Amino acid sequence: MAARRRLSMTFWIFLAPVLIAFMMVIIIPFFIGVFYSFTDWNATARTGGALQFVGLKNFTDSFSDPAFIHASIMTVIYTVINVFVINVLAVALALVVTSSLRLRNLYRVGFFIPYLIGGLILGYLWQFIFNNAIPAVGGFLPGFGFLADPNNLVLSRVGSSIAALVIVGTWQYVGYIMMIYVAAIEAVPESLYEAARIDGASQWQGFRLIMVPMIAQAFTITMFLTLVNSFKQFDVNYALTAGGPATMFMDKSIFGTELLALNIYRTAFVSNNLAAGQARAVVFFVVLVIITVIQVRINKSKEIEL
Amino acid sequence: MKRYLTVAVLLLAAAVLFGAGQRESVQGITLVQNKPEIDAQLQNYGSLWTQNSGIPVTIKSVGGGSGADMGQQLRADFAAGEMPDIFVIAGIEDYKEWESIILDLSGESWNDVTSVAFTHDGRVYGFPVAIEGWGLAYNAKLLQQADIDPAALTSYGAYKAAFEKLNSMKTQLGIDSVVSMAASADMGWVTAHHNFNSLLSNGLPYGDLSVVNDLLAGRVNRQRLSEYADWVELLFRYADRTVLTTGNYDAQVGAFAAGRAVFLHQGNWVDPNMAEAKVTFDMGFAPHGSMHADTDGIFVAAPSFYVINKNSKNIEGAKRFLNDMVYTEAGHEFMVDKALMLPAFTNVDRMPTGQLSRSVQKWAANDKLYSWSQYYFTNEFRDQTLAPIYNQFAAGRINKARFIELMTVAFEGLK
Amino acid sequence: MKKRYLAAAAEALMVLFLILFLYPFIIVFINSAKDSFSVTQYPMRLPEHWGQLLVNMRSIIVSPNIRYGSSFLSSVMITAASLVLLTILPSQAAWVLVRTKTRVSQLIFMVLVAAMVIPFQIVMFPLISWFRLIFDVTGIRLLRSYTGIVLAYIGFGLSLSVFMYHGFIKGIPLELEEAATIDGSSQPGIFYRIIFPLLAPIHATICILHGIWIWNDFLLPLLVLGRGNRIQTLPLAVANFAGAYVKQWDLILTAILMAMIPVIILFLAAQKKIIKGMVAGSIKG
Repeated sequence: MAARRRLSMTFWIFLAPVLIAFMMVIIIPFFIGVFYSFTDWNATARTGGALQFVGLKNFTDSFSDPAFIHASIMTVIYTVINVFVINVLAVALALVVTSSLRLRNLYRVGFFIPYLIGGLILGYLWQFIFNNAIPAVGGFLPGFGFLADPNNLVLSRVGSSIAALVIVGTWQYVGYIMMIYVAAIEAVPESLYEAARIDGASQWQGFRLIMVPMIAQAFTITMFLTLVNSFKQFDVNYALTAGGPATMFMDKSIFGTELLALNIYRTAFVSNNLAAGQARAVVFFVVLVIITVIQVRINKSKEIEL
Repeated sequence: MKRYLTVAVLLLAAAVLFGAGQRESVQGITLVQNKPEIDAQLQNYGSLWTQNSGIPVTIKSVGGGSGADMGQQLRADFAAGEMPDIFVIAGIEDYKEWESIILDLSGESWNDVTSVAFTHDGRVYGFPVAIEGWGLAYNAKLLQQADIDPAALTSYGAYKAAFEKLNSMKTQLGIDSVVSMAASADMGWVTAHHNFNSLLSNGLPYGDLSVVNDLLAGRVNRQRLSEYADWVELLFRYADRTVLTTGNYDAQVGAFAAGRAVFLHQGNWVDPNMAEAKVTFDMGFAPHGSMHADTDGIFVAAPSFYVINKNSKNIEGAKRFLNDMVYTEAGHEFMVDKALMLPAFTNVDRMPTGQLSRSVQKWAANDKLYSWSQYYFTNEFRDQTLAPIYNQFAAGRINKARFIELMTVAFEGLK
Repeated sequence: MKKRYLAAAAEALMVLFLILFLYPFIIVFINSAKDSFSVTQYPMRLPEHWGQLLVNMRSIIVSPNIRYGSSFLSSVMITAASLVLLTILPSQAAWVLVRTKTRVSQLIFMVLVAAMVIPFQIVMFPLISWFRLIFDVTGIRLLRSYTGIVLAYIGFGLSLSVFMYHGFIKGIPLELEEAATIDGSSQPGIFYRIIFPLLAPIHATICILHGIWIWNDFLLPLLVLGRGNRIQTLPLAVANFAGAYVKQWDLILTAILMAMIPVIILFLAAQKKIIKGMVAGSIKG
């Protein structure tokens, strides 16, 4: 009895700082934000502080805005491609850096380094590459002349701009995800392979029967991380394409590669409509929660099957 | 050992957390402005001013990314309850945002020496930071080589002929394109702010808002819009496609500075860039050719204004800071020689060093000026509605007829 | 024999790929040694004078708006304080959450982890007005202060921390603690003497993951600290080179290089441990 009481004292004492910080920084502002999304709130002197309730207006306005709908669709497309590309490449790289290659440790560090740098900087950097370096390569490499054609500029079309976002997103994040797969692969005890070899399994069988299930186990976390991060993508979008180029959608000219986070940011700051931005953020949150819950469920059930 | 280390780290963290929380309040003034490129000069001027006036002044320069950033900073400051004493607004939309805290400056003596202060309902609220102007900047040397007189560039027809001629002489002149123009998503301010202004005020008496008011009421003058669309099409057609569709400010200005384009669609604020690129050719501004009729003038105005926070604890100090900029030698030196700005005050007789600033001054001296009227449209309308239309037109994804149609629909939506 | 050639070919291919992969860093480096005009016009060329790099570094260090020394120090203090607290507090929380198998502890863990999906945009402005409200009511200054920014980083970082510690602690055998309980150690004593040192690989991982984020972060310090105030971090300072229209690329890139170098050096120095920590910490969840 005494032991139990002591435990629960420690329980709350140890938890308190985290819970307080969590309350102060996440929970309370989160609910304030949800509250604001039903008002005409603006952090300026314009309204003079008197909040007006506007009901669901901010939400209905958002759903009738082509830019918001298009941004939602684009975000989903971007997320799907990005999650796929990052994970495939990360698995491949993880296999390389756990192989018998001599410089494998160098590769580990090398592939991780882009993760050390902020997304805004990466965006500006890659803008250089897509706008200047690639056409320059086309200029002097015979057979690649098409790269120098202004009509083939990567960032001048919606499709290839999304691809560019994926490339940069992958470049930044793949090293981190690779590490998680490395962890999964290295968690397989060497003896397991030995046993498999003795039983006469081929290398491929060993890979398929031992390594694949281990990698699959890492999926739950890598999928979660890549999904959430792709969905929240802001920095690279802002610095690399700034939403361009424009495209037609629902009979309106809008920015074609504007993802949700950027759309929310612009609604709040460029259009000076904080409450509407807040409403969009709430929608964004709800969608993200639904997607991640589904993802984790699916992965968990798959894990057991394997 | 490890334990002591942990304790020490904890103590350090605690000291950082709680010790730094306290902060004494200084009875000075704070100024927030949006030109980080002149920050060093302004800081120097500020400390000089403090020496003379005894009032400490803190200067914060906010830049970074899109034009919305200062507004973002001001909103954060406002939310934090730390609104600066002096800050910058860029016209009526900004004024409306901060209306409730902007001080009436009608009684200030500098009103006697400027005609471009920010006024609303007959009262003066904003101190003009500088005069800025733009037309189509030209490279005089290249024009001379092609035997084109910049003085003749006053209408769509004249520009069309000149562009065609220059385009046919590309290799001879060593240029990539005739005009350096930018219309990427980043550069919406070149198209949907500056170029857009040609539609609003070109050819009209200074301060004439008839077109603005018509458009704001959803009434579109088809003739004027169609002539304007011809002009936009002409600029886009003879621009370098790479710079036009994906280039940023540096790419656009750099092409002109390097002599790879004859014209540049920017204003006199590129003077420092020209100096940096060590440009040797002569240059000046020609009017926009957005109309078929002759228009003999360029767009000149004070685009941004210092305003004083009504709730400032030192209103007199803030007023004095602005006043001293107009009436002291140090103020003049700062504005003209250090910050390379074109002052908005008639009592300043220093000459600017930049060629384009001088060109603006020359046009102003001859009183051949058209207004900046773009600020009557919201940021949202220009950046989110118009900019993508220009972008699509530039990329060749829509034709001129569609461009006119989309613009018309956009204006009709303003009603 | 054939196998050897194959291995060598694979090795060469990977090295080539790595160089391509790291090429953007080479671009940063060569452009840090140019003036602004050459950066934008000839970004791919090698610099004419490498000495320009020192010139650029000097202009950054002496710039009154950047206040490089004090910005650097602020960045270091904020990052260090946040990391210390982001290891101690979440690890002890994760420990009690793992060791107390009740519905409450499960719920708390779920909520903490679920918060990872909250977009920053949804809380950023309410956070500012909330911090201001606290100041108005209690006089505790959270805006424009170290307290506030560190608190904010704890708030935003704790979910991932708790998640990783939780996963690792689950794998620590209970026998270790039971032996200590028999010896009469108190609960906190057990945690700090036995468990906390065992978490070293996770500490390293947390420090690198959160360290990268905090060191490079822009939006949160922009809102909490503001631009040009007494306390500013390096990314805020660097942003001063980027005007609304004019971007001083030479100085921006040099500043990036200068901010990047300490992180890369730190990473290279500790990479063995960090990678081990990532490997140990990231999978057990």
